[in-house]
Amino acid sequence: MISLRNVSLIYQNGVRALDNVTLEIAKGDFVFLVGHSGTGKSSLLRLLYREQVPSSGEITVDGIRVDRLKRSRVPALRRHLGVVFQDFKLLSDKTVWENVAFAMQVTGAHTKDVMRQVPRALDLVGLAHKSRMYPGELSGGEQQRTAIARALVNNPKILLCDEPTGNLDPSNTTEIMELLLRINLKGTTVLVATHNQAVVDRMRRRVVRLEDGKIVTDEERGYYYLGLGQGQILSG
Amino acid sequence: MDSGKVKFFLGEVLRNFTRNAGMQATAIGTVAMTIVLLGAFLFVRQALAGLGNELLSQVEFSIYFKDDVTTAQEDATRAAMQHDPRIASIQFVPKRQGLQELSQETHGKIDAGSLLTENPLPDKLRVQAKDPSLVPAIAASARTLPGVQNVVYQGDVIARLVAVVEVLRRVGIGAIAIFLIVACVIISNTIRLTVFARRREISIMQLVGATNMYIRAPFIFEGLIAGVLGALLAVVILAIARYTLWPNLLLSLPFVQFGSTTIDAPLLVAELLGAGGAIGIAASWYSVGRHLRT
Repeated sequence: MISLRNVSLIYQNGVRALDNVTLEIAKGDFVFLVGHSGTGKSSLLRLLYREQVPSSGEITVDGIRVDRLKRSRVPALRRHLGVVFQDFKLLSDKTVWENVAFAMQVTGAHTKDVMRQVPRALDLVGLAHKSRMYPGELSGGEQQRTAIARALVNNPKILLCDEPTGNLDPSNTTEIMELLLRINLKGTTVLVATHNQAVVDRMRRRVVRLEDGKIVTDEERGYYYLGLGQGQILSG
Repeated sequence: MDSGKVKFFLGEVLRNFTRNAGMQATAIGTVAMTIVLLGAFLFVRQALAGLGNELLSQVEFSIYFKDDVTTAQEDATRAAMQHDPRIASIQFVPKRQGLQELSQETHGKIDAGSLLTENPLPDKLRVQAKDPSLVPAIAASARTLPGVQNVVYQGDVIARLVAVVEVLRRVGIGAIAIFLIVACVIISNTIRLTVFARRREISIMQLVGATNMYIRAPFIFEGLIAGVLGALLAVVILAIARYTLWPNLLLSLPFVQFGSTTIDAPLLVAELLGAGGAIGIAASWYSVGRHLRT
């Protein structure tokens, strides 16, 4: 579903954000991308939804060669992807319903499809009863659920999450992670960049660890810190 | 497009438009100023062109006699003119009648009776040529006839008029070009402000896969509204000027006869509204495009 082959990303100021990264993620996977701030987690996600173009290497997302995608084809790629951020990126002057519908309306969806899809997405995240409220009236967890509903409303095959729980307290964090798991069980491939140790350690999913732009480990059912399962604790 | 889509689109435009009301007013005002200038320029040019055509088509000219002319000289000249095959008709206008005519032409501002103690006008011979193109040649030969002081035909006036129109045209085009640029800059700055105010929306639109055309459309529409509103304001100002100032101007220029200046008002209005809309679209296209490219 997602494939990176020898991908490097070097910024104009010479900073090497990603260094020869190769990664395969199968359909229906749930993958954590961990590492300190500035190790390239967000850069990697940005490459996948073509916010950035790699300096070298091949990237394939859902059969689309993202690294050589024409600018005019970028919208088509993004309709296959849902993206969720730490800061939710909701529009404060639109209601929950309008925020979710917005994602369909701006892609030119028919009104009858909007009317059918938006309640479905809000149901999935458990916010159908708050659809008329504005983001400012919601808790952080509810705002992130709204953002997830918006990311899912176009039925993407892949959900990319960049620090989705970074602004949330532990109980809201749990809530969001359970929601992401439920979404994954329905067949959506989920990739979560995080540095929330508790979440990663509790969920025991595939963990890809980045350090200085390189993938240092890639474990099935991993922990946040390398080798924690074998009783070793690294400093940091 | 279903009605839900139209409603969504117009809602977005309206939200956009009212959010930066002050800046929009500036943009509309600038467009209005540009269009007023453009409209006034087109109007004056058309009026002058009409005047020029009218003067060019005149076959009439006047031969003025010297103050000390004798009746014999006048008769000789009249006879010469009468026998000229290029001439359709002649009419002798003695100085007394000339003064009366002047009084009529100026709506009584020059009063033949009271104002003047002495008639300053010479006797003249009013000549109708058979063809306007013959006038310069006849005028040249008439200058050599006995007792003739001067021959006045509109050719000189036309030459000067054409020169004036040419200068006006250049100055006008220059001024309009500058104002068009200013209007474009102000509108594009206005749109950039609204783009900046909506950068979150735009980034979300890009994120969920809205095409650039779809992102652009509300801004283009907004620019179009600002441009057309500005042009509409300008048309109102021009119409007021046309129906209040222009007649007064005509009264104050009694010698100039802007008789048959025909201006196609609906066409002019349509052109001005079109120009306003075009400015708005061009400016917003440019400024949103700059944002989307990054």
